[in-house]
Amino acid sequence: MLQFDRIALPPETEALRGEVRGFLAESGAHLARPNSDFTTGHDPAFSRKLGARGWIGMTWPKRYGGGERSFFERYVVTEELLAAGAPVSAHWIADRQSGALLLRFGTEAQRERYIPGITRGETYFSIGMSEPNSGSDLASVRTSARPVDGGWVVNGTKLWSTDAHRNHFMIALVRTEPPSDNRHAGLSQIIVDLKNDGVRIRPIRNIAGGEDFNEVVFEDTFVPADRVVGAPGNGWKQVTSELAYERSGPERFLSAFRVFVELVRAAGAQPTPAQAALIGRLASHIMTLRRMSISVAGMLEEGKSPEVEAALVKELGNNFEKQLPELARLVFADRLPAPAHERFRQAFTDTLLLSPSFTIRGGTREILRGVIARGLGLR
Amino acid sequence: MNNRSETRQLLVDTAERIFADLCDKPLLDAAERGEFPRRLWDTLRENGFHELAMRSSGVPLGDAFAVIQTAARHAVPLPLAEVLLANRWLDASDRFVTIGLARGDTVIDAPWARMADAALALDPAGNTLVPMARSAAAAVATGSNLAGEARDVLGAAQKAAPIDPGEPAYELLALARTVAIAGVLQRLLALALQYANEREQFGRSISKFQAIQHNLAIVAGEVAAASRAADAAIDALGDARFVLEVAAAKARVGEAAGIVAEIAHQVHGAMGYTHEHQLHHFTRRAWAWRDEYGNEAYWQQRLGRHLAGVGADGLWNFLATRG
Repeated sequence: MLQFDRIALPPETEALRGEVRGFLAESGAHLARPNSDFTTGHDPAFSRKLGARGWIGMTWPKRYGGGERSFFERYVVTEELLAAGAPVSAHWIADRQSGALLLRFGTEAQRERYIPGITRGETYFSIGMSEPNSGSDLASVRTSARPVDGGWVVNGTKLWSTDAHRNHFMIALVRTEPPSDNRHAGLSQIIVDLKNDGVRIRPIRNIAGGEDFNEVVFEDTFVPADRVVGAPGNGWKQVTSELAYERSGPERFLSAFRVFVELVRAAGAQPTPAQAALIGRLASHIMTLRRMSISVAGMLEEGKSPEVEAALVKELGNNFEKQLPELARLVFADRLPAPAHERFRQAFTDTLLLSPSFTIRGGTREILRGVIARGLGLR
Repeated sequence: MNNRSETRQLLVDTAERIFADLCDKPLLDAAERGEFPRRLWDTLRENGFHELAMRSSGVPLGDAFAVIQTAARHAVPLPLAEVLLANRWLDASDRFVTIGLARGDTVIDAPWARMADAALALDPAGNTLVPMARSAAAAVATGSNLAGEARDVLGAAQKAAPIDPGEPAYELLALARTVAIAGVLQRLLALALQYANEREQFGRSISKFQAIQHNLAIVAGEVAAASRAADAAIDALGDARFVLEVAAAKARVGEAAGIVAEIAHQVHGAMGYTHEHQLHHFTRRAWAWRDEYGNEAYWQQRLGRHLAGVGADGLWNFLATRG
């Protein structure tokens, strides 16, 4: 059975929590339209402030600008930022997975070049995994990197790369050898300079009207040899090693949190039985998901790679955050009085329109259930 | 693993062996027909399990709940939680005392009151327990819950002075049902996995079908959540937030119970719908226990009303307090 150990956040994290709350209380200008979704709110000024506080790359070695703090401390910072609806999108991917990937597999030169900027909140990364014909079936990527003198020539198209039009770099999964019977072989990860390598970036409008994700086209794009992450051919192993980081965090169940806050505000001190029951129900889910997520942080702290547990937390968490606005709208039969109406409506609308993405990004519900089934020994 | 968790594990392992030896399908069927599992009861007493929750035992109360969860994994047809807590509150273990809810002059929903020496009538409003002796004068109406577990009504007779448990009695019994549901759901996952691996259709094990795999993944998620929620409530014993942690946990495991029982049956097909199969001893308990000591709506509303008082701007702080 999948085990989520009873791990509690160490008491010393509470002082840090207080610091983050104090910081947020003074960050009003960055919180004009709070949204707990981690892809919403690209605010470099805010990211730089977090970097100055030492809240990016918290678990990384100090010699690259990291904080050498625990995964629990990182957990506290991330959950406080999300709960407040802070704009964290700019540095999020770099902090969550790109930096960790470079630390684990990158060369010393790569670490020295990229990681200090990440920790300062100045250097931002995007993910380059999906393609027009490679979504869940990631191993089928066709973007190719052909070796040439001094580097690689890349051709192909990456899709759904969040903030590629705003960020500095992308770590792209590319094919460096032709496809063979072992479909996981011959893949590599390369760092693409989105500002200087000459790639074509086209933002794609989403159903919420936002332009956050992109199509990134490579046409004989030259990438120097020193931008390959790890060994050429090791891409699949590296890309899957990111998943435990990518899938278990609080951003996988807190995306709709601001709707919950406005629901409680609108219900007031004397909620109807249906409102009280929903508030209690949502709380019971968040309390449990949070503890499961902290258990995974504990496993990461112990140096484990809990990919199945992470998939399970994401699966449960995504379903919860997707359901939250659906349930919330039904406990108000009448139009709310202003300004409760405006506050609830805005949080609801902003979140509902994002919600289809919750069970798609970072591994679809169907892929996650497959990962869990494998963990159960069924496949 | 520290010493305390090692002691708990040792206790759970001992209980596990006793239940695995003595609590089989024939015993469950006999208990459902009204036959008290005397040998199992005597064995538990001989091993001192009935004194586990007593303050004089020196055992952390959480260990008693770990044993209650172990019993649930075997569908043990005894009022283990009631006996453990009654002995704790009476500070005595020489008699067989069960617990039910006070209704007027009677005690209702009291497990195995027909066999007990006495029942404690729990009044949640006042957090008091009135000991009522079973005697010739006291009429017992035998009954059962939807799992076929003995749930009797004891008529008015020989009331003793009320006891103040000194701790939230209703919530402790709700915690007992919470951990028991988590235990029974763990067993349902194991049964469903085993059956899916063994059963063949269309020339292969049904566990190879994606539809079955995804349903079992849902079960695994709900069981993991229920287990973590129950553990968190055990860990809150003695804490100022204990009642609210129980509220969250009972509500969460109650939700999981319905989902897991439904899929466990679906995976087992018609086989699992027969009385001959053991599955129903576990699914019916999950269904019964989610309604005992407060269903999901009851606990959600209690927690929700508290949070309405906390207010929107204090909501996150409440949720993020206690890892």
